[in-house]
Amino acid sequence: MTGLEIALIGFGFMLLAIFLRVPIAIAMGFTGFIGTWVVLGRPDPMLAQMKTLGFDTFSSYTLTIVPLFLLMGNFATRSGMSAALFEAASDWIGHRKGGIAMASVGACAGFGAVCGSSLATASTMGQVALPEMKKRGYSDALATGVLAAGGTLGILIPPSIILVIYAVLTEQNIVKMFMAALIPGLFAAAGYMLTVAIYVRVFPDSAGCAPRKPYRQRFKTLAKVWPVALIFGLVIGGIAADWDWSKNGVQALFTPTEGAAFGMVATALYGIFTGGLNWLGFWDSVLSAARSSAMIFLIILGAQLFNSFLAFTQAPQMLAQWVNAQGYAPLLVLTMMLIFYLVFGCVMDSLSMILLTIPIFFPIVQSLDFGLTPEETAIWFGILALIVVEVGLITPPVGMNLFIINSLDRSIPMTRTYLGVLPFVFSDLVRVVILVAFPGITLWLVGVIF
Amino acid sequence: MTLAKSAEQKLGFWLEAVSRYLAYAGGAVLAVMAIITVASVIGRRLSDVGLGPIRGDFELVELGCAIAIFSFMPLAQMRRSHVTVDIFVQALSPRAFAFFGFLGDVLIALASSVILWRFWLGFGEKFPYGSDAFRSALAMGSKPFFVETTFELQLPIWIPYGFALIGAFFFAVVSIYTVWRSLNWTLEGQEKIL
Repeated sequence: MTGLEIALIGFGFMLLAIFLRVPIAIAMGFTGFIGTWVVLGRPDPMLAQMKTLGFDTFSSYTLTIVPLFLLMGNFATRSGMSAALFEAASDWIGHRKGGIAMASVGACAGFGAVCGSSLATASTMGQVALPEMKKRGYSDALATGVLAAGGTLGILIPPSIILVIYAVLTEQNIVKMFMAALIPGLFAAAGYMLTVAIYVRVFPDSAGCAPRKPYRQRFKTLAKVWPVALIFGLVIGGIAADWDWSKNGVQALFTPTEGAAFGMVATALYGIFTGGLNWLGFWDSVLSAARSSAMIFLIILGAQLFNSFLAFTQAPQMLAQWVNAQGYAPLLVLTMMLIFYLVFGCVMDSLSMILLTIPIFFPIVQSLDFGLTPEETAIWFGILALIVVEVGLITPPVGMNLFIINSLDRSIPMTRTYLGVLPFVFSDLVRVVILVAFPGITLWLVGVIF
Repeated sequence: MTLAKSAEQKLGFWLEAVSRYLAYAGGAVLAVMAIITVASVIGRRLSDVGLGPIRGDFELVELGCAIAIFSFMPLAQMRRSHVTVDIFVQALSPRAFAFFGFLGDVLIALASSVILWRFWLGFGEKFPYGSDAFRSALAMGSKPFFVETTFELQLPIWIPYGFALIGAFFFAVVSIYTVWRSLNWTLEGQEKIL
């Protein structure tokens, strides 16, 4: 049996296990373990490696960002930031047709700037914005659809947990990944707002209007948003801006891990001072961040075993060579990969998909010629992959964001949420096509800063 | 028909509490690490006025992360936080659905036991104490020739290993318990929603 065949059998076995409700981390880990055993003919090398593998994998300076950002997001969720953001946005544009839906998108983008998780963004903003939209006579479909879609901004706008893991997997610079995600993230928010504007013109009775607010009131609520801007500025400015002009190159204030620690402490302080985060809320945040962190790190551990199995079979290189030998157009290969993500995104969660596919896809992408440098290709592909796996969060039938928003109001049938999100999925697809066609949109900011 | 349901629930109650307190402890480690990091950055920035970065902050963060993550593992398994793809199995009967959950728990129990076993041996290779008889009774292998320490702080590596081991131990215990729990759910024909 060739390495490629073993890898294929292993992959099929693992997918079968995953579809039979075996936890994804465990399916990857066991496949990796048994697969390596088959390839090497004996289990001892793997067993010897496993004596320190767990500790070594978990004691990663870079990956420490993940629990820190999770904790930060949980603090932000409880601190009342979402309400302040939504209030400010709806005071400014709520009186327009569909304005509250647009304000929800804006508030989601703002919340995404302090929270790296889509699910948390969707559920937090949903709790604030959904009752308000219902009160103003928005249709169920539009209200739930826009919130589910807006939630995906949480992960697109930095800080972003999936980007951290992508950067670790492919040995890219986290700061550059964050910078590259910023413009596509804002672009996504603009696209969702445009979608709302078109939606309410096609279905005029799907949205109402809030009364127009005087400017005094608008500036008053806007002033309450400054802590969010400050924290975002501190974290992103600290890791990406140049703090010492007398030296060459970008002298950042701190590393991404230090930035995450700052963000977490600042968000906790904000929550404590505004009274949103009490003693009980603090420990609840810890428990919730603990569960997500354990889940993510176990998948990373499983992926480690699986990836070393793949490396032993040499399947990724063979596959990359084979794809190259066929002489397919690079854009065609890229499109196929993105479609694969879209299809699998309907049933699988985004992080697992990235961890499963990047070891296979990344060597192929790197071997194709898109007219970019290897680093540019890596950054660009990372952002594209992130966006399409996030579309998976809002595509029926299994879109976690849809479930979360829908569960906030049991009176709304699931089918209506499914229908309401479709225009936003379409907006996502249009955006992906534009980003594929013009890599410069993603790479411009990275080029300016570095 | 169930398998000693009341004993299972009693044990579950205690393991839930243990898992929760372990997670709290891990969270506290994480919070302390974040504060050390913030202090270190501020110190580094103010080095003109005599302050400086905290020595070895980088190491402490790394080690603290591993300890925290290991101590989060039991709670995640207790509350079934690990991602699964439910959509295909959901089409089956509630009992079959519960059965596949049971299968997943069996595999997690197996995996966490292997992790604990290997980690214990890894710990034995770092732990420099104990007589030969003591060590062989605990299957710790032979004593290391030198004490492995961290680079900057010269902290013996077996100390953070030991803290992380607590989490790994309870991860295995909780996982084995959850096999019992999901077996009972399967026998009852319905999974309890956590």
